[in-house]
Amino acid sequence: MILFPAAMVVIYGVLFVVMPDKTSLALKSSGNIFLNMLMPLGLVFVLMIFLNLLLKPTQIARFLGKGAGIKGILLPAAAGIVSTGPIYVWYPLLKDLREKGAGNSPIGIFLYNRAVKPFLLPVMIAYFGWEYVVILTALTVLGSIALGYSLSNLMEGDNSL
Amino acid sequence: MKIAISSDGSNLNAKVGDKFGTSQYLVIVDLESGEFEAVPNPGASGQRGAGMQAVVLAISKDIKTVLTGYCSPAAYNHLKANGIEVLTDLSGTVGEMVEKYKKGELEAEMRAGTGPKSRGIKVDKSALVQATGSSARQFIALLPMLLGVVLLIGLFNAFVSKQFLASIFSGNVALDTLWGACFGSILSGSPINSYVIGGELLKYGISLFAVTAFIITWVTVGLVQMPAEIAALGRRFALLRNGLSFILAIPIAIITVLILNLIGS
Repeated sequence: MILFPAAMVVIYGVLFVVMPDKTSLALKSSGNIFLNMLMPLGLVFVLMIFLNLLLKPTQIARFLGKGAGIKGILLPAAAGIVSTGPIYVWYPLLKDLREKGAGNSPIGIFLYNRAVKPFLLPVMIAYFGWEYVVILTALTVLGSIALGYSLSNLMEGDNSL
Repeated sequence: MKIAISSDGSNLNAKVGDKFGTSQYLVIVDLESGEFEAVPNPGASGQRGAGMQAVVLAISKDIKTVLTGYCSPAAYNHLKANGIEVLTDLSGTVGEMVEKYKKGELEAEMRAGTGPKSRGIKVDKSALVQATGSSARQFIALLPMLLGVVLLIGLFNAFVSKQFLASIFSGNVALDTLWGACFGSILSGSPINSYVIGGELLKYGISLFAVTAFIITWVTVGLVQMPAEIAALGRRFALLRNGLSFILAIPIAIITVLILNLIGS
């Protein structure tokens, strides 16, 4: 994870020697992008604290095994939206829930809704405007239902897992 | 009632493991029947998330109490949130601890303040401090990659011409959206990076259709994480889920932008 930013610093170092003018321009441009992000990033941090205070991964994961019908859609969707952290932290929990009988549809819905991240919305709004964010968020949630339905049908009768 | 003891070995004579998340075994004892089983600790490899794997095991085995040498604050909080009691700072053999626990001696020692104290209890006193701490860790974990992305965009702005990008993104809505979805599927990481890259691509005149497809597949399709997903949820599930997510990204991107245009933004 540190490799990529470190590589960037090395590339900048080399370019400064070869093309100092253009590289200064690149650094200035990066500085401006970063400055514009400071305010949304501050909000991101506050929202992160709020979510961490209210929710624990294991509590969220329990939503996935519960409910049928509309609840079987809304609970995993909500769990996906409020889930935080990298995806590999969630795989063991999902595997365990699958073994306990959670269906393919809720797991698919959960994974799709991870694209909606309330604590990152300030940054998204700063770049694309709130109308765009509202439309994309609503369509992502609706899309996840279509995904869950298709996944559940296509996986039917498969016992190889 | 079942209790779990972190252990260095698979029998009752083994020593209590130093760490709940990474000890070799969890010995699970049924206090009513006296039967026990030693389950290899899924977190024994010590990888990131090891504590969480041990927590999941404890929950799935319906454990009521965990006895261990040390339990990380994060694992402690997850166990408590699921109604599991945690007693720490224990040493000796697994069998000795089970006997002490049966007699109520461990809890009595903790109440009297003469014996083991749960290190997690201090953390539990201030949920806000705990939440701020884990948020800070998450936030700091985001920053190096974000900084790298911002530096890369800076280079992009200074060195890459608009003509070059225009040669990849032709202006054809369907084709551009497909390209955007492809790029998003290959790349991955926190969604925040996709917003920053997408926002800058817009300034280069790349269509919002392509940028939207890019943002959607950034999270929903993960070629990089595919091996981990296959290992956890099966090959068929992983391939179908990623394939369907990719296909779905294209209509969602197109409809999003069409609605946005309709409302006149």
